[in-house]
Amino acid sequence: MRKTYDIETLIQNFKNKDKVALAKLITLVENEPDKALEIFKHFDNSDKDSYIIGITGSPGVGKSTLINILAKQLLDEGKSVGVISVDPSSPFSGGAFLGDRVRMTEVSLDPNIFIRSLASRGHGGGISRAVFDISLLYEAFGMDVIIIETVGVGQSEVDIYNLTYTTVVIMVPGYGDSIQIQKAGIIEVGDIYVVNKKDLGGEDIVVQLEMMLDDATVQTGWRPPALMTNSISGEGIDKLVEKILEHKNHLELSEALKKKKKNRFEYKIRNLLTYKVGKVLESLISEEEREKISNSILEGGKYKIYDLVHDLFRNIKFEKKKESSK
Amino acid sequence: MSKPGVDGHWRGGVIVSRGLRDAGMEVVFGGFQNVEQIVESAINEDVDVIGLSMHSGAHIEYTKRVIDLLDDRGVKDSFMILCGGVIPAQDFPKLEEMGVAKVFGPGTVIQDIVDFIRENVKE
Repeated sequence: MRKTYDIETLIQNFKNKDKVALAKLITLVENEPDKALEIFKHFDNSDKDSYIIGITGSPGVGKSTLINILAKQLLDEGKSVGVISVDPSSPFSGGAFLGDRVRMTEVSLDPNIFIRSLASRGHGGGISRAVFDISLLYEAFGMDVIIIETVGVGQSEVDIYNLTYTTVVIMVPGYGDSIQIQKAGIIEVGDIYVVNKKDLGGEDIVVQLEMMLDDATVQTGWRPPALMTNSISGEGIDKLVEKILEHKNHLELSEALKKKKKNRFEYKIRNLLTYKVGKVLESLISEEEREKISNSILEGGKYKIYDLVHDLFRNIKFEKKKESSK
Repeated sequence: MSKPGVDGHWRGGVIVSRGLRDAGMEVVFGGFQNVEQIVESAINEDVDVIGLSMHSGAHIEYTKRVIDLLDDRGVKDSFMILCGGVIPAQDFPKLEEMGVAKVFGPGTVIQDIVDFIRENVKE
């Protein structure tokens, strides 16, 4: 049977750079969100901040393969790298087939890398709830760079933008016409755009991207570049690393990094509050009550949906506790 | 789920992984990996079960090396090991003696693997 560890021992081993302890702490924060409270009490704020890069794009554009080669370059430069790769959970069984690590076999044995696959577990936005907590653990572990890979996204899963400092949006030849590129959502959150699989073409996408980027009406001082890569041969990766570094310098010099860091915490605070309020609501409104409503709606009251939910809420009283005076 | 070595028989590991996925489990698919990569993956991912899919005839040797390396890293007790693939029945006891929890040979029904994992891995 599996050995179990108490948190104190894990933290102690973690501080001695034990990867087993890191892995087990990740499991704890992933499976039991409330454990984070207990775990992070053991860390002070003296750890240096890691630089956080997000890699996003549709399924099959080459995100994991690109991370393999990007990580290789960073490791060669002497950096330590923590990777978080998210794949979707099944809406039917809750299970998942996590197939990102299989692209990163080449770098997986480097002592300075740690790769963790995550299932999205019902969280929207292209990531999983635990991504933030794991990035905190990576920071405490002393990782220089953290790379977060989203699930293969569609158009609107942009949470990654709130969690990272440099967001790389990956596309492939055949993306669509100039109208697709003007749409809101994923196509507007890139700090760097990459058209991967350049052996299949894609020059037209770069032209469309350049036009879209030149048309930007909001000026941030950073004009995102549009690059072409081949993540299998490694072509264009030098340029990508160079641009990531340039963007990092830009953020540091312009104080925008501070803003990004703040945004990252605000995002998590919103999430945490939603989670906590959700738990309170679940305890206040039983499943039976919800089922009663959906049944009565089903039996011909479809226009009553707002009425009924409103009624359900009217009987609940939220009260803020008065601060106790000391 | 890993395939030690390069015997090319990819399908079995994929089908079993898919079956486990449909049973509500999270499967990290490692594909072809050497022994070091298998152990490193298992540690990084903190999995409950290591599945070794083997069709090369070298199942005794590979399994032994995986278990030895887990032992070296001090984590032998952290994982349950299951073997599957083209493994002759007379080798089952040898593997189980080495520390493999169960061997699933040719003709296995995926539900049996699901049931075995559910019964033997604590939530």
